[in-house]
Amino acid sequence: MAMRETLTRLRYRFVPDHILGEILAKSWIDNAIPVAILILTLCVLGSMIPGLVAVGSLLGMSAQFGELLLVVMAMTIVMLAGGIDLSVGSVFALANFVTLALFNMLGWPILVVIPVAILCGALVGLVNGILIGYLRLRAFLTTLVTLIIVRSIVDMFILEYAVKVARPTTLSRIWDFISFKRVLGMPVALIVCLAIAILAHLTLTRLRPGWHIMAVGGSRRSAFNAGLPVRRTIAMTYVLSGMLAALAGVFYASRLNAAGSDTGVGLEVLALTAAVVGGNSLGGGRGSVFKAVLGAIIILILSNSLLRLSLPTGGTSAVLGFVLIAAVAIDVKWVKHRDKLQTSVYVSPTFLALGKAPETAEGSASPYALNNLLKDVELIGLGEIDGPEDPILDAAGNLYCGTRHGDIIRFFAPDFTSKEVFVHTGGHPLGLAFDRDGNLLACVAGMGLYRIGPDKKITRLSDQTNRSWLSVIDDSRMRLADDLDIAPDGRIFFSEATIRFDMSDWMVDALEARGNGRIICYDPSTGSTRTIMDKLRFPNGITMARDGESFFFAETWGCCVSRYWFAGARTGQREVVIPDLPGYPDNINRASDGGYWLAMVGMRTPIFDMALQNPGFRKRMVERVAPDEWLFPNMNYGCVIKFDENGRITDCLWDSRGTNHPMITSMREHEGWLYLGGVSNNRIGRYRIPGGDPTWTAHASYRGEAR
Amino acid sequence: MIHFMKGCAIAASVAMGVLASSGPLQAAPDDGLINESSAALKGKKVAFVPIAMGFDLTEAWAAGLKLDAQRFGYELTIRDPNWSVDAGAQAISQLISEQPDVIVVHPPEIQAYTRLIQQANAAGIPVITVSLKADANGDVFVGPDWYDLAVKETESMVKFCGKDSGKSGKIAVMQGVLTNPTSQYGIQAIEATLKDHPEIQIVSNQAADWDASKAHAIASTVIKANPDLCGFIGLWDNMDVGIAAAIKEAGKQGQIYIASSGGGNQVSACDNIESGNFSSYVSYDAKGQARDLMMAVRAILQNKPTTPGEHSVGLYTPLKVITKETMTADSCWKLEDVKKFGP
Repeated sequence: MAMRETLTRLRYRFVPDHILGEILAKSWIDNAIPVAILILTLCVLGSMIPGLVAVGSLLGMSAQFGELLLVVMAMTIVMLAGGIDLSVGSVFALANFVTLALFNMLGWPILVVIPVAILCGALVGLVNGILIGYLRLRAFLTTLVTLIIVRSIVDMFILEYAVKVARPTTLSRIWDFISFKRVLGMPVALIVCLAIAILAHLTLTRLRPGWHIMAVGGSRRSAFNAGLPVRRTIAMTYVLSGMLAALAGVFYASRLNAAGSDTGVGLEVLALTAAVVGGNSLGGGRGSVFKAVLGAIIILILSNSLLRLSLPTGGTSAVLGFVLIAAVAIDVKWVKHRDKLQTSVYVSPTFLALGKAPETAEGSASPYALNNLLKDVELIGLGEIDGPEDPILDAAGNLYCGTRHGDIIRFFAPDFTSKEVFVHTGGHPLGLAFDRDGNLLACVAGMGLYRIGPDKKITRLSDQTNRSWLSVIDDSRMRLADDLDIAPDGRIFFSEATIRFDMSDWMVDALEARGNGRIICYDPSTGSTRTIMDKLRFPNGITMARDGESFFFAETWGCCVSRYWFAGARTGQREVVIPDLPGYPDNINRASDGGYWLAMVGMRTPIFDMALQNPGFRKRMVERVAPDEWLFPNMNYGCVIKFDENGRITDCLWDSRGTNHPMITSMREHEGWLYLGGVSNNRIGRYRIPGGDPTWTAHASYRGEAR
Repeated sequence: MIHFMKGCAIAASVAMGVLASSGPLQAAPDDGLINESSAALKGKKVAFVPIAMGFDLTEAWAAGLKLDAQRFGYELTIRDPNWSVDAGAQAISQLISEQPDVIVVHPPEIQAYTRLIQQANAAGIPVITVSLKADANGDVFVGPDWYDLAVKETESMVKFCGKDSGKSGKIAVMQGVLTNPTSQYGIQAIEATLKDHPEIQIVSNQAADWDASKAHAIASTVIKANPDLCGFIGLWDNMDVGIAAAIKEAGKQGQIYIASSGGGNQVSACDNIESGNFSSYVSYDAKGQARDLMMAVRAILQNKPTTPGEHSVGLYTPLKVITKETMTADSCWKLEDVKKFGP
């Protein structure tokens, strides 16, 4: 049995189950499939065709690649906004014809010819854009019609002028440069195309018009409700698409100087296949220029290889058709199941064996023995506030607390009946602390560490720390800053409960019982933020010990309180002060008698303790059972205990029925009263401490030590 | 002793070497050129980019090249773009980077591959163009004089529909791909020839892109629009069967003349003449062209031009007109025979 437990312990210590879910949560995971397809293509075709991946072979394809990529980008931009542009092949042919006609037949200067050709493409795009963007016609049918109309126009012109346009009458050095020269080993078409790709990438990811396109494609209705110019954005994508396809046509003209009637035939299917194979979603809103590049490479290599394999007539088209079908199927399935898959694998429980829980039976000799001392607390702000995680009082006796709506509320002394919204932070303010200058410091869930001056001015102190090298999740961002305290030297130590879950899912972290949390230090003298301890099991409350060199911190799922020395002789040491609590500890704050108050957010149960030793059971539960049926820690009791410097329990207050104050997350002693907060409560409780010092305040306690 | 052993070993190896090398010598005496010329072909790389495989012309040419490739041990690669100009251009660009010893190109248009042929020449690769003449000559051209071919077709048409024939004099021209030399030089020839015959007028001049079903559709319409139509000038047998079908459907076989042309394959040429589908046929004998092509490739491989593309050789195919009257048993060739026995 012990052997088996050791094995389980080792298996969960060394197999990083949680990484799979974290990888699936990455935004670049969408590129994984196309990259895999590319590698597969190269492996399979590279072994079938000798020399396929040689440098010379790739250079031979580079001019075509430039043209194809331009058309694929044209298609991608339209697809990102939720549309489709089938007319790209015809626009390509039109631009090719216009270029040759104007240059060869009419002898216009090439620097005029190229913009005119692109303008033609833009005009076709504008027609598409007006019909689809403003008149709300179906993209598929509309562009199918423009495909046919433009193609017919080009065919009519070709019948009349095909012979004349192919005979160059004028020479142009610029045109010859575009046609024949290579710069840095690359044809001009490819260089221009790559420059446009970079520009398009920056536009889509960094600039307003690009964001508009992504927003409109992601959800047209939401974009409209957000006040975005939906119609104009959609119309603009078609104009851009027309221009890009036309530019590709210009390069085609420079490469082949021929106006055949099959120019650009089937290009729309090729471009569509490339865009989808690259991982751009047909539904819009999901995709990138990089995906377009990937798709274009895959399709070019594939079509080139099929050509070299000399498939029987029609074989090449058939293979490309199958690729398109497969890509669309993968796209649909991926979009549909990615989130599902991620949710089912994200929660990854580990092994945790807690020590035996101490006795809490009423009337027992245990220091934790149940009582009902909190049954008659005074209630402040009942029903007016939601989620006061950590109440705090200022020097003048006003009471502050955060709420789930993102506010910090101030109740005015002395009776706390009137209140105001002190500031609005935007996240859920959790731990609070006053510094010596009367500034309120707040850990805001989802945002980081903030300072609010007495003049209500909000300053962000820190929202990122050092990134750890081996973490898949970007742990430089702060997801759930929880509680803080200020050292005598001004450094701020705060806990981040977990890096794997957001505030709304904080309790799911209990199912993992992994050390997902950390303690971070912000140094205002340098402005730097460093993680000082990690792999903690939901580190929560932090409070400075009275020696000025250490602090106590609680680990909620670890059910323990530890002490950490950040200065003095024992710098860097860590010591468990209370190893096995009967419940889940939350915030810690100073008490007037030299001890420390500790809130219990919930109580341990034998069944959950057992579940913690069975990670497989919890994993199956998460996978197979609906979340509202999951076994969670018991959060229905209210309990506050007091311990001294050595970790001896000196007091214990219970709300045994859990009606007034279940799930107490914090408490503050102030002038003989104990103020109680709860992250899920709609009130603050006030309990008269029997024999409490009516003059003691935390401010004085901290000031005394600073002196 | 050691010396003796060494001597024996040397003698043995010399004897074996003589034996080994004397084998083929005994089989075929060196006439001073044959060994040298066949050695020049061994291990060379020949690439062929047709418009498409799968029809009589390209299959016949390829059969000839394959035969030589086997016989002389050169490596033949065929890249089939399947009627796509762009795919063909891609294939040629690709080949230029692969540096074969000669590229055989069957250009679909006059202009489309002109630059690529020049690029290949500039990269030091000799180019042979077959059948369809591009604007760039390359090193060798093997194929018909399209102008002459169309003149011959028009002359036979004039005989049937011209002065004193009692016919309407209305004829229709079915072109292939417009930018193709067959159509471009062909239409010039037709117009020039008809200048001397004002009684004949072209009532329809359209392009069917070498596609029989397109030709069929166009011909049906033309026949309906011109019930007194005298004849069609078609420019390729594989397309012109569409015209023949349209005439048959209209019940006018024998009344409407069809002048066609092509590679002289039994099925496409002689059988159609026999059955009356075609009235006259100008053959450029693709079997003969296959042989010309084989020889051109051999010549280039044996004597690689120092500056490819500088001097061009034109090997224009002799044309012969086939009608029911002039047709003999060997007027045409059979593809399966060419594939089996070579051109």
